[in-house]
Amino acid sequence: MTASNASNCGNGNGNGNRNGGGGHAVDFDVIVVGAGVAGCATAFQLADAGHSVLLVERGPEPGAKSLSGGVFYCRVMEQIFPGFTDAAPIERVITRNCVSFLNPSSFVNIDYADDRLAQPVNAVSVLRSKLDAWLSDQCERAGAMVMAGFRVDRLLVEHGQVCGIGAGEDELRCHVVVAADGVNSFIARDAGLRTKDPANHLAVGLKSVIGLERGVIEDRFNLERGQGAAYAVVGDCTAGVGGGGFMYTNLESVSIGVVLRLDDLARRGLKSADLLDRFVGHRFIAPFLKGGEPLEYGAHLVAEGGQAMMRDLVAPGFVVVGEAAGLALNTGLTVRGMDLAAGSAIAAAETVKEALAAGDCSPAILSGYPRRLAASFVGKDMTTYRRAPALLEGARIFNDYGPLLANVLHGVYDLDLSPRRRLWRTARDTLKTAPLGLRHLAGDGWKALRAL
Amino acid sequence: MKTIVIYKWFRSAASALVRQDGQVDWGGAKMAAGDDDPAALDIAKAVAGPGGTVTGLTIGDGETAWVLARGVERALAAPAVGPLTDELATARALAQAVRLVEAADAVEAADAVIVADAAAHPGVAPALAAELGRPVVLCVSSAAADGSQITVRRRVGNAVEVICLPPPAVLGAVAAGEEARPPGMMETIRARKKPVVELPVTPPPEALERRGTRPPARLGARLFGGSPDDAASALVAALRADGVL
Repeated sequence: MTASNASNCGNGNGNGNRNGGGGHAVDFDVIVVGAGVAGCATAFQLADAGHSVLLVERGPEPGAKSLSGGVFYCRVMEQIFPGFTDAAPIERVITRNCVSFLNPSSFVNIDYADDRLAQPVNAVSVLRSKLDAWLSDQCERAGAMVMAGFRVDRLLVEHGQVCGIGAGEDELRCHVVVAADGVNSFIARDAGLRTKDPANHLAVGLKSVIGLERGVIEDRFNLERGQGAAYAVVGDCTAGVGGGGFMYTNLESVSIGVVLRLDDLARRGLKSADLLDRFVGHRFIAPFLKGGEPLEYGAHLVAEGGQAMMRDLVAPGFVVVGEAAGLALNTGLTVRGMDLAAGSAIAAAETVKEALAAGDCSPAILSGYPRRLAASFVGKDMTTYRRAPALLEGARIFNDYGPLLANVLHGVYDLDLSPRRRLWRTARDTLKTAPLGLRHLAGDGWKALRAL
Repeated sequence: MKTIVIYKWFRSAASALVRQDGQVDWGGAKMAAGDDDPAALDIAKAVAGPGGTVTGLTIGDGETAWVLARGVERALAAPAVGPLTDELATARALAQAVRLVEAADAVEAADAVIVADAAAHPGVAPALAAELGRPVVLCVSSAAADGSQITVRRRVGNAVEVICLPPPAVLGAVAAGEEARPPGMMETIRARKKPVVELPVTPPPEALERRGTRPPARLGARLFGGSPDDAASALVAALRADGVL
């Protein structure tokens, strides 16, 4: 599909079934495929601007197929839905972040709690079944038509321009199709914008939601009422497989899971479900969940390649947003996807509005989307953290640094009546017996400085 | 004949969570089409016959497009009636809605009112019939209008029972299988664009007083350890001892 093949699109504003601006007759101005955060945020903005929008979701209802493995850094949502944190079904405001190195018999945490994270609200925990249902309701209220339970199985392309979607025997035509159908976006592949990603760019995320009383959660995680905690865990939670664990508090449940790099998991011949069970039952994790009731269990493909997974974002009559565009970031400290999805939805919606107003959905106009994205926090963060995936691919971060930290701290806290030494000596002696050398430390430190 | 099919009148049990203490958490689940709703619609169409009319009726946030996309021309909703957990109250709300439809059509009674004979809510169909003061046949798998009477079929064990009754009647429908042909996206979109007529049904008070809940009885589990062969042998021995094999 090339720009030279592009034809014009109608000057859409209002209801469908028209043939404006010399383009093809359409059923809707825009069809958005996928009712997650990216799809709903795009559909809402376009419908709110008066365009006719169809939002198609494969699951029986919005959110039925969504699975988040991290907290939602939600400030961007205020730009789309003012008052978001008051109106949306959020679970808890995250004010405590822990980076944890989990070893078989030790647990080292960097524990950061800060009241400033509560006002303004910076991050929240969400259950996607509730959040996506709320988002799609907002889309319907803005005038979009939400169709759940239908699988879009092909794009309609005429003269090199995407002009609609096909679902079974049905075909629907529009000026612009927005692909928001997740990391495995089949329609982005259909449009020639994505190829199959390499296994080291993909991970499988498994999550359990464990029900607990809200007071119990607040006691165990040392939280004020309504506030929440998020743990990012590396080490023994994945039995050495590249990836990590996560745990965060919802209102009356705790979400806990592992993210496992596909290539490493396959190489080691381990089962992802076994590793999640192992993490949940780990002696330092199990007490958080004691007496809890398993409520949900799910798995999801996760983009881990960072900026390297981003491909072309537009084709004639076609744009890609959210995880379908490869927008996900794991820095080891934060795991982000939903905020990037919302940011891409803002850039895409602005561009599509412009294209519809101009009656031109060619890449010449739609390329405003990648430009807007690159200029936004989304593009800049993807660039800033472009080296993070390589940093997190190193085996030492999963296997060696946790025990090293624990051994140094053991030397500090194990007062065995021997004379105390200065901390740097303790650290140096610990390093001598560790599989890590100073060369590794220096190299990884430099990598981390460049990546983060 | 004139028939009224009632659909999407309860929440999907798949959306419910049964807590350890027996409390049921519906989590804001919307009204959902039950497994028997498509069968109810097929029966309504069959009884109406060519030249007859089928009216779709739902309550709460039940979506009228469900029935409109399946070829019904007229759909009404009673949005003020939320999902009720009390089967008698549900039946009273449905009866109120049926009478409003009949009053609007200036008929004394529709020839047949068809409602899913849902296993999860077995009391609704008979209670609806009692409220309307009409005969009821439950477990109906198919039906047809034959002159001035309705002929219904239902499975009883390995036999098929054929019952003839004069209208008006209430039929409780059960599905014999999956819906043969769910509507496509275009049919659903067209249905969504059709107007919805709302009925001013007043939600009846719930008649059931809940005094407590009891968790479902847990079945004992036995784990057979050892090698796969040993475990399989132990399992077979246990099944024989219990008379299963």
